[in-house]
Amino acid sequence: MFGSLDISTSGMVAQRIRLTAASANIAGANVVEDQYGNYAPFLRREVMLASGDPSATSRDGQSLGVHVREVYQNPDALRARYMPSSPHADENGYVMGPDISSVAEQVDAMEASRAYEANVAAAEVSKAMLAQALRLIA
Amino acid sequence: MLQKTIQAGSLPALEAMMRFTGQRQRLLAHNIANLTTPDFQAKDVSPQGFQEMLGEAVAKRRKRTGGVDGGLDMRGSREVKVRRDGSLSFRPSDSGGVLLHDRNNRDVERLMQDMTENYGMYRVANDLMRARMGVLRTAISQRVG
Repeated sequence: MFGSLDISTSGMVAQRIRLTAASANIAGANVVEDQYGNYAPFLRREVMLASGDPSATSRDGQSLGVHVREVYQNPDALRARYMPSSPHADENGYVMGPDISSVAEQVDAMEASRAYEANVAAAEVSKAMLAQALRLIA
Repeated sequence: MLQKTIQAGSLPALEAMMRFTGQRQRLLAHNIANLTTPDFQAKDVSPQGFQEMLGEAVAKRRKRTGGVDGGLDMRGSREVKVRRDGSLSFRPSDSGGVLLHDRNNRDVERLMQDMTENYGMYRVANDLMRARMGVLRTAISQRVG
C-alpha cells in the first residue's frame, strides 16, 4: 500500500508530459526557422510511454507504474507548404514545414487530462486507506 | 499470552484482509497509471479467490482448536502466495477484455469499480479491527485501574 502513491504519481507525471508535448506541438505548428534564421522546421514531439518506473528505489517498485521512455521528435512529420516568398523555398516555391494538426493535438490533450484525473482518483483512494490505517491505534 | 491476545477471534482474518486489499490497491494503481500505455495489459487478482482461501483457513482453524482462537494457516493459491511472515506475494492474471488499437485492454469503468470495491473491503476490515482494538484497550485499562 505504501508504494501505491508512488505509482499514481508516476502516472500523473507521464500524463503531464504528454500534455506539455501537445502544447509544444500546437505552439510550434508553423515554425520553419530557428532564432538565427536557419532552416530548422519544428518536428512533432511524440511521447513514448512504457510501464515500470526505473527511478523507483526498490526492485519491486521498479516494475510498477509508468514512465516516459523517450520524447521522440518525429523527422517525418513534415509536409510541403506553399511559401514562395520564403528564403528557404525550393524552385517550386514550397517549404517543408511541420505537419501538425491542432485538432489531433487537442484530442491527445483531452485524453491525457482524463488519464491524469483517473490517477488523481487512485491517489485519493490510497491516501484514504493510509489515513484509515493510522486511525487504527490513534 | 500476547500471542493468544492478538490471534483471538477475527483479528487474524481481518489482518489478512487488510494486507490483501492494501496490496491490491498497488496493483490497481499500476493499472490506472498505465491507462494510455501501448502494449500494456491490465492484470488483477481475484478477491473472491482470496475470500475462499480465507474461509478455508478459518474452517481449518475451527477444526484444529475447536473454537475461534488461534492463528490462521493459509494455503495460498495460484494467484496469491502466503509467505512465512504472513505477507502476500501476487501473481496477477490478465483481466481480459477488448484490445484497443494500441494493444491496451483498458476499461476505465471496470478499474474504477474495482478500486471502489477494494477500498470498501479495506474499510470494513479496518473498522472492525479498530472496534476490536478498542475492546482490547478497554479490557487492558480495566485490569490496571
